[in-house]
Amino acid sequence: MKRAHRRNHILIWFLLAPALVLGLLAAIMVRPAEPVNDVLPVELIGEAD
Amino acid sequence: MSHGYKAITWTPFKARYDRWILAGIALWLIAFVGVSYTTQPPGESFTPIQALMRATGTLAFAMLTFILCIGPLARLSRRFLPLLYNRRHLGVSTFLIALVHAALVLLWYHGFSEVNPLASVFASNPNYDSLAGFPFESLGFIALIIMFLMAATSHDFYNANLGPGTWKALHMGVYIAYGLLVMHIALGALQFEKSPLYVTALCASSLTVIGLHVVTGMASFRPANRTALEGWLKVADLVDMEDTRAKIVRPSEGEAIAVFRSGQSISAVSNVCRHQGGPLGEGKIVDGCITCPWHGFQYSPEDGQSPPPFTEKISTYATKIVDGAVYVNPEPNVPGTPQASTSIPAMEPAQ
Repeated sequence: MKRAHRRNHILIWFLLAPALVLGLLAAIMVRPAEPVNDVLPVELIGEAD
Repeated sequence: MSHGYKAITWTPFKARYDRWILAGIALWLIAFVGVSYTTQPPGESFTPIQALMRATGTLAFAMLTFILCIGPLARLSRRFLPLLYNRRHLGVSTFLIALVHAALVLLWYHGFSEVNPLASVFASNPNYDSLAGFPFESLGFIALIIMFLMAATSHDFYNANLGPGTWKALHMGVYIAYGLLVMHIALGALQFEKSPLYVTALCASSLTVIGLHVVTGMASFRPANRTALEGWLKVADLVDMEDTRAKIVRPSEGEAIAVFRSGQSISAVSNVCRHQGGPLGEGKIVDGCITCPWHGFQYSPEDGQSPPPFTEKISTYATKIVDGAVYVNPEPNVPGTPQASTSIPAMEPAQ
């Protein structure tokens, strides 16, 4: 068996690293200026109860 | 090793390691839920399921980030090797935590419609062509499937039956799973979470994992310089050879070679463990045997054979000492071939 996975490891990170950085940047850029936290208002919980 | 299989084997160290994992999981869940309830904005309220959903989601991501840091950290410093030795249990625990997170999501957000909850994950939000509002749950679900495959095949039985190469290739899927999870969080929680802590934590953990893997990966590709000694590769000066430890040499072609010093003798073997391709040169000599840092597989430095009753064999290499420097011939012997070690002149004490 060869340690060919070292080469695959580098190849994966060569592709994954820039993709992840770009993906993160893009996600931050499309983030709403006023993010809405998806917790339920107390009134709604009381109503459901 | 190859001699036989047991379902799971716990040594005292592994048992202690697993207790730490369980304690860490419990501490995280209690702390996260507690802090969520005490810091919730006025007029809003978490349900217990939502709090647990967040707690298990963040915990699974933190555990996977930690797991992915262990490998490169162990290459940079031997202090992290004990973590590497038992990484598998941590990986399976991470999958189980992620499974709880997914089950809570399915129950809470998809369990009350007429559509099959699994189909609902992929079909309820068709906004696949836009980054804003992207159905991020589908990314997490695909990552969960990859993690399931890895957890289900984590036992040595599968390593032996699939072959180390195939097994390792399958388990490298963890990097893809990690990438999917980063985007799962970035396009999910990050889009509606007010606290800047989430953005900071996600960016810091992703960049740490990326940086560690790229740096250690590049370092393993520096080939050794050939010398004027007819193709022999210089390993190191003898004074730099630490007792029971190895220097790793990377020929321009072929596999890396681990050159060990054991007392007053030098011997060289393939750097590749037969078990999962672990880097033998990052291990050490224990009880006269080269011991893999990953899972403790052992080989004799003289002939590259595992001690009986085990049957693994690795290649050996010829070494020599010239003018106080150690050299290795990069042409491998057939695995298991005895190769006389090189004796160190009496003037060179081990470090």
